[in-house]
Amino acid sequence: MGEVLAYIGLVIVGVFLLYKTFKTDDRRYIYLAVGIFVIFPFFIPLDIPVIVSPETQQLYDAVEALPDSSTVLLTFDYYASALPETEPMSRAALHHLFRKDCKVVTLTTIPLGGPSISEDVTREMAEIYGKEYGIDFVNLGYKANYVAVLKGMGSVIDIIYPTDNSGTPLSEIPMMKDIKNYSDIDFIYVVSDNGIVDYWMSIVNAQYQIEVGCGVTAVMAPKYYAYIGSGQMTGLLGGMKGAAEYERLIGKKDEATKGMGAQSLVHLFIIFSVLAGNIIFFFERRKRFNQAGGAR
Amino acid sequence: MSLVEFLQIWIIAFFTLSLFSFLYKDNPFYKLAEHIFAGLSAGYYVGLIWESVILQQMIDPMFNNGKWWLVFPGILGVLMFSRFSKNYSWISRISLAFVMGTTAGIFLVSELHGKVLPQIQATMKSLDPSQGFAGFILALIIIVGVISTLIYFYFSKEHKGALGGVAKVGIWFIMISFGAHFGYTVMARISLLIGRVQFLIDDWGGSIVQLFS
Repeated sequence: MGEVLAYIGLVIVGVFLLYKTFKTDDRRYIYLAVGIFVIFPFFIPLDIPVIVSPETQQLYDAVEALPDSSTVLLTFDYYASALPETEPMSRAALHHLFRKDCKVVTLTTIPLGGPSISEDVTREMAEIYGKEYGIDFVNLGYKANYVAVLKGMGSVIDIIYPTDNSGTPLSEIPMMKDIKNYSDIDFIYVVSDNGIVDYWMSIVNAQYQIEVGCGVTAVMAPKYYAYIGSGQMTGLLGGMKGAAEYERLIGKKDEATKGMGAQSLVHLFIIFSVLAGNIIFFFERRKRFNQAGGAR
Repeated sequence: MSLVEFLQIWIIAFFTLSLFSFLYKDNPFYKLAEHIFAGLSAGYYVGLIWESVILQQMIDPMFNNGKWWLVFPGILGVLMFSRFSKNYSWISRISLAFVMGTTAGIFLVSELHGKVLPQIQATMKSLDPSQGFAGFILALIIIVGVISTLIYFYFSKEHKGALGGVAKVGIWFIMISFGAHFGYTVMARISLLIGRVQFLIDDWGGSIVQLFS
């Protein structure tokens, strides 16, 4: 009952701030309202059911269908600024891959933050599953010029990456002895916040016929549905919602699932604001029209 | 929580709040955070490229593995710096020509093979009713959407009559696409805010509690 009253209070505050925005034309009231709507569910949780989309299910099924101990290339193609959307995807992917005893090769095409994010997240997840560096997973790190990297890895990986992220030559890493190029990789799991996905599709998927599944930020998701429609991409996670869906499928409710309450609440507020703004706009136009004597 | 972790969290919180303060109005904290970010990014990037490209892919293989021919791409790279001179900037075109040639070669195949042809193929849907009502409707939407949108971007003839009508249908499809993009953009931006709020509540809030407990 207390929670219901709290949410009723929140709605009243939201409507009041919206009213102040329209009254004063000061957008800071909207910022304040959005801030309150985001913070509120962290103190009084809003349990929103996460419904799994077919694209997320397709990616999960593709990973699930891989034989145990398959080799998977997992990319961390994102900047630190996109972490809330992309990091939960990487974590969920690693849960799934390590649970299936897959050999995981990670890399990044992003210089700022990419190498350290991939190192930190992979090592943290590996510790949970008791995986050993060099035997179960390897972090190749970053190399400049992603087109040359993506293309070159099709011939010989250790020409592009002579060493791993820590500077150890690949020839000294046991896991990399059997992984020479794309033909030794069973699946590519791209997590990205930028247009690099296009190149994973057009250079790697199209030319080397390796299945590529992607997790992308919500801004990018509409564009990449085209690859799902054409059957080129094997599954797609769109933003925090996609990450929450994947978390549900692997049975690990984490950061993305926690954020979905705030996400849903703010979306409702924005929908209400758009509707209210339009209704007020039409009323005011009609009022001006009537004040002008009904003549245009 | 160690002292380093504690300081790390407080520095992150300081910069997060400094950047958020712009929502109220422009102020010195926002400017400080913005300038530090720009400076750090540039410095980090230079260091990373020096280590991962110049050292690892050129100098080390040349001097340790005898791959002397890497001197040629190295020279091409150095030629790019001639752009800073008015009299010798033309020399950088040699390097640019190499970059443009290889890029065109790689992308000609990959774009055609990986994008254009599969996407055209994906729009060639069958309208066979035996695929079920939903399948039929989806195929119809794709066919009408592709054709009407393409016609909207056909500017060689004035959009009047039947052509104008079809172009208007195209506008509707484009508008729906913009709506979907806008919806997803809202979701993306809110997700980023949620991430920051999660950090401020869980990590920074946790450190404050620890400080006073």
